[in-house]
Amino acid sequence: MWAYFKFEFLNFIGNKKNIAIYVILLFFACYYALKIAPTYDPIEKVDVDEIEARYLTREEFLSTVVIHDDMHPLTYFATQIYPEWNYYDKERLDAIKDDNLKLYAEATTKWYTYSDSLIYKFGGDMIFYNAGYYTYGNDYPTMDGHYAYLYSASRYEGYATGKSDLSINVFEERTALQTLQRLLHSYLPLILIVSCILFTADIVLKDRRNPTLLQGLPLSDWRKLIIKGGVAFLGSILTILPLSVGLIIIGVRNGFGDFSLPVPLSIPLPALSTNELTFESISMGEYLIQNMLLLVLWFLLIISVLLFVSVLIKNEFANLLVGCVFIFAEFFYFSRGIGYYWDVQWFPSSYVQVGQVISGYRTFLYGFEKLTLSNGLAVLGLSTCIFLLFTFLISNHRKFKLL
Amino acid sequence: MWNMLKTNLILEKSNKKNLFACIIVVAFVFGLVLFIQSEELGNSIKDKSAEFQSLAIAVNKFQNVDASDNSNASDIYKNLVLQKQLVATQIAALKLNKPDLFLNTSIELTNLREKSYDMEGFDKVASHIPSKSENQLNGVLYEYMKKTGMAISIDALSFFQFLAYLFALIGSIWFIFMSIYSSGIMVEDFQHTSLIKGYPITFDKYVLAKCTSSMLIVGVFIIELFICSLPLIYFKGLGNPSYPIAVFDGDFSVYPIYKYLLVCILYMIVIAIFTILLSVILNVLLKNMYLTLFVQLLLYIFPILFPTLMNLVPFNPFNYLNITSILQGETLNLANPVVLNSTHGLIYIGISIVIMVVIIKLFLTTGKLKRV
Amino acid sequence: MIELKNIGVQFSGRDILKDISITFNSGEIIGLVAPNGTGKSTLMNVIMNYINPNNGKVVLNQELEYTSKKNEVKIHQLVSMMPDQSDLYNHISGKEHLKIYSSMWNSDPKLVASTIKTLGMDSYINKNTGTYSLGMRQRLCFAMQIVSDTQVMLMDEVMNGLDPTHVELISQILVQKKSEGKTIIVASHLLENLEKYADRIFFFINGELTHVNVISPGFDEKEMTTVRATEVTDTIKEKFSQEFPNTNLRSLPNGATLIDVLGFDSEELSNVVEFLKENEITEFSFGKVTLNDLYSMQYQKG
Repeated sequence: MWAYFKFEFLNFIGNKKNIAIYVILLFFACYYALKIAPTYDPIEKVDVDEIEARYLTREEFLSTVVIHDDMHPLTYFATQIYPEWNYYDKERLDAIKDDNLKLYAEATTKWYTYSDSLIYKFGGDMIFYNAGYYTYGNDYPTMDGHYAYLYSASRYEGYATGKSDLSINVFEERTALQTLQRLLHSYLPLILIVSCILFTADIVLKDRRNPTLLQGLPLSDWRKLIIKGGVAFLGSILTILPLSVGLIIIGVRNGFGDFSLPVPLSIPLPALSTNELTFESISMGEYLIQNMLLLVLWFLLIISVLLFVSVLIKNEFANLLVGCVFIFAEFFYFSRGIGYYWDVQWFPSSYVQVGQVISGYRTFLYGFEKLTLSNGLAVLGLSTCIFLLFTFLISNHRKFKLL
Repeated sequence: MWNMLKTNLILEKSNKKNLFACIIVVAFVFGLVLFIQSEELGNSIKDKSAEFQSLAIAVNKFQNVDASDNSNASDIYKNLVLQKQLVATQIAALKLNKPDLFLNTSIELTNLREKSYDMEGFDKVASHIPSKSENQLNGVLYEYMKKTGMAISIDALSFFQFLAYLFALIGSIWFIFMSIYSSGIMVEDFQHTSLIKGYPITFDKYVLAKCTSSMLIVGVFIIELFICSLPLIYFKGLGNPSYPIAVFDGDFSVYPIYKYLLVCILYMIVIAIFTILLSVILNVLLKNMYLTLFVQLLLYIFPILFPTLMNLVPFNPFNYLNITSILQGETLNLANPVVLNSTHGLIYIGISIVIMVVIIKLFLTTGKLKRV
Repeated sequence: MIELKNIGVQFSGRDILKDISITFNSGEIIGLVAPNGTGKSTLMNVIMNYINPNNGKVVLNQELEYTSKKNEVKIHQLVSMMPDQSDLYNHISGKEHLKIYSSMWNSDPKLVASTIKTLGMDSYINKNTGTYSLGMRQRLCFAMQIVSDTQVMLMDEVMNGLDPTHVELISQILVQKKSEGKTIIVASHLLENLEKYADRIFFFINGELTHVNVISPGFDEKEMTTVRATEVTDTIKEKFSQEFPNTNLRSLPNGATLIDVLGFDSEELSNVVEFLKENEITEFSFGKVTLNDLYSMQYQKG
C-alpha cells in the first residue's frame, strides 16, 4: 500500500499539469508580493495629516462657538460631541509624535468606539464614517463603516493590551502574517480550492490511458481511490510552498508580524436582533489554525466529491464543472441579509469564503448567526462522509470497474 | 470533409463532456435569475440613495462654503453640490413616479458630471462618482430615451432585458468557458491516433471538421441560453426588444437590445472559433489539455496584469476577449486610458483566426499526432 | 500494386530499413516475419507516410507518390492500416466504429452489415467497446479495416489475442479479400498460420527484406526437402556425419535437427530412415522446412 502511495505520488509530482499549477501559483505569489501588496491602500490607515486637519478644524470651531439658546440644533450637537472626540484625536496625535505606539493604540481604540457610537446612531446625513466606504455603487456604506470601525476598535485594543511589537505596518495590516490574514479574508481560499480541484480532476481518470498496467494491482478499488485521494490532498497542502515565497518577500519588506497579533472576530448575531455588534479577539496563530482546519476540510470535501464523480461519470470535464459548482454556487444566492429567508448554513458552498466565515464577517453579511466555524466543520465533514460513503458503495459494487 | 463531420458528430453525440457543458449552461441561466431576484437589480431608488450618500461624502471633503455661482468656492465643489441636488431631485422623481422629471434631471446630471472630470481636485473625489465612461454611457442612454420618448423600464427579469443582462455576463466569461471546453479538443484524439492517422483527409480539413462540429455544439449552447430564458416570458413578460442599451464602439452610442444581442452573439462566435483554433495549435504543441488551458488563461490575464501592454500592442487579440468590458469602454478608465474599439477587436480577432488557419495548414499534419 | 523504391530509414545512426526495393502486387498476400523491434512496423509506417524515410519513395499504382498533402490523401484513400485496439473509442459502440470507417472511406454501406455477420459480431456490436474483451476488440479492428475496403491493407499483428476458431475465420476472409484483388500485407507471429495463406513470405534480416526462398531454397516448391527430427543427441549427430559425409545436417536452437534431403532418391531416403531407426529416433517427419524452423535458424541464436 505504501509502495502504491509512493508510486502515485511520484506520478503526481511528475505530472506536467501539476508542475504547471505550482509554477503558476509561484508566479502569482511573487506578482502579488512585488506588485499588488505595496499598493495596498487601507481605508483605516495611520494618517497624521488627516487627524491633525480634523483636530484643528474642530478645535477652531469649539474655541469660537458661543453657546446660546436659539442656536441651530446641529451646532449645539457639535458642541456636545466634539470635545470628547477631539480629546482622543489629540491623544493620538501626541502619541504618534512621541512615537509611543502603545499609547496610540489605546487612544485609537477609544476614538473608534466613540466615533462609531455617534455615527451609527446619528449618522447618515451629517456625520459619516470614513469616506472610503461611500464609494459609487456601494449600497451599504454605513453598515460597512460600522463593521470596520468596531473591528478597528477591537484590533487596536488588542495591540494596546497585547505583547506584540507594534509598528505602522502592523497598524495598517501590512506585515506578512496580516497580509495572509487579509488574503484569507478574500480570494486566497478560492485559489487554494481551485488548485485542489485541478489536482484531483485527473487523478483517477489518468489511469484510463494505460489501464492494463494498473488494473491488476493487488489492491481493492476502494483502497486505490483512498490512496489517490491522499495524494491529491498532500499535493493540495503542498501549495503552501510556492505561496510562502510571496509571504517571505512581503515579510522581508514589511516585517513578518507575529502569531500573537490580535484578529478580531465578530460575535454572530441572530437575524433582526437588536443586540449590538461586538467583537472578540483571538491570536493570529489561533486564527490561522482555524483557517487551516476549515481549508483542510474543504480539500477533503472537494477530493471526496471528485472521487465520487470520477467513479460515477468517468469524465474529467465533468470533474472540473462539478468542482466549480461547489465553489461558485454561493455567488448566485448570496445577497446581504438573505440568511433570514434561507437556511444557507446547510449548503457547503456557503462556507467557501473561509476567512470571512471564521472572522464572522460572512454571518454579518448574511445577517444570520448560524454560519459559524463549528457549523462549517459539521456541514463540510458530514458531506465529505456522505460522498465517501457513496464512493465506497459504488467501488464495492460487484459490477463496478475503476477504469 | 462531410464524412469527417459525420464521424465527429457520432463521437460528440455520446461525449459526456457536451452533456455536462449543456447542464452547466442551463444551471447558469437559472442561477442568474435567482441572482437578479436576490440582488434586486434595477431597484433605482436604492441605487440613487447610495449615490446621494457618496456625493454627500465627496462634498464633505471640501470646506463648507457658499456654493452659489459667483462665490469664490472651487469649481469642483460647486459642481458636486449641484450634482447632489440633482440626485436628490431624481430620488424625488422616482418616489413621486414622474419619469419625465427623472429623465430631464438625469440628462442634466450627466452633463454636469461630464464637466467635473477635468476640473482641478477631481482625483480627490473620483471614487465617489461614476467613472467618465459610465457617465457617458448614461448620457447617451438618457438622451436617446428623451429623443424617442421611451419610458424607462426597470424590470430586469422581463425576457429581453434579462437576455441583455445574461449575454453581458456570459460575454465577460465566454473566453474562459470556451478555453475550458476546448482545451482537450485534440488531446482526446491523441488517444486514438492509429484510427485517425490513416483517414483519407488532410489535416486542415480534419481540423476544419473538428472546429465545425465544436461550433455546432457552441451553437447549441447559445440556443440553450434563449430556450432557458423563455419561461420568463410567462412569468415576467416579454419586455421591449428595442429598449436601448448604451455601448462604446469607438463612440458612445445606443443599441437596441436585439442589436446588442446580435453583436454579442457575433463576438461570441468569433471568439469561439479563435479559442478552438488556439486550442488546436496549443494541443499539438504541448500535448496536454491542462497546459493548454493554463497558457490560454495566462495569455488572457497578461494584458489585465500589465495594462501598459494594451497601449503598446493595441492589436493583441487577447485585449478584446472580454466583450462586455469592451462594449462598456472600461479600458478608458485605466491610469493610461486605451481606446479599444469593438469593431477593430473583431477585425484583429478575425486576422488572428486567419493566421492560425494558415499556421495549421502549413505546419501541422496528421503525422504530428502522436500518442501521449 | 504498391512499389517501394530504395527505402532507407535510420534511427540515431542505426539502419532500421536498408535500401528496400520491392513490389507488392494486387491479389497477393505478403507475410512479414521478424522478431519484435526489427522494423516491420517501421516499414508499414513508411508505407503510410507516418514516418518519412531518409531516402527512397513509395509508389502506388505506378503514379501516386507522397509528394504533397493532396497525394497523401489520395494514397490513404487506397491504402489503410489496421488500428490498434487500445485506440478504440470506449464510449461508442462497435457498430458506430464501423460506420465511421465506412463513411470516412466512402465504401459500400452494405459492407458494415455483411462484415458483422461474417465475423460473428452480432451479439455485441451494439455495445460500447469499453465492455469488449481483447479478442472482441481485435476482431472489431480487423472488421474496421475490412469495412474501409481499401485496395492495399496493412495489418500488424492481426491475429493478436484471437482464439483458433477466429484465427481460422480471419484467414479465410484474408484469402477471400485476396481473390477480390486486394494487396494484403500481414505481419504475424503465428507462423504456421501465416504459411497457409501467404503467397510470399519475407524475413527481416539486418534491415533488409529477404524472401524465404533465398534462405531455404525450394521452400516455395512442392518438393520434399528435409527430414525433420527431434531429440537427436550430439553423439548421434556425429555418427550421422560419419555415415553420410555428404549430407547436410543442421541443429536448430529450438531443438529440431534438419537433415537436408533435397534431390535424394528413394534409396538414399530409406538409408537415412534406417539410420534414424537404428539410433532409436522415433519422432521424425519428411517434408519441407517449416517457417518456425527458419525463424529459429535466423533469429534464435543457440
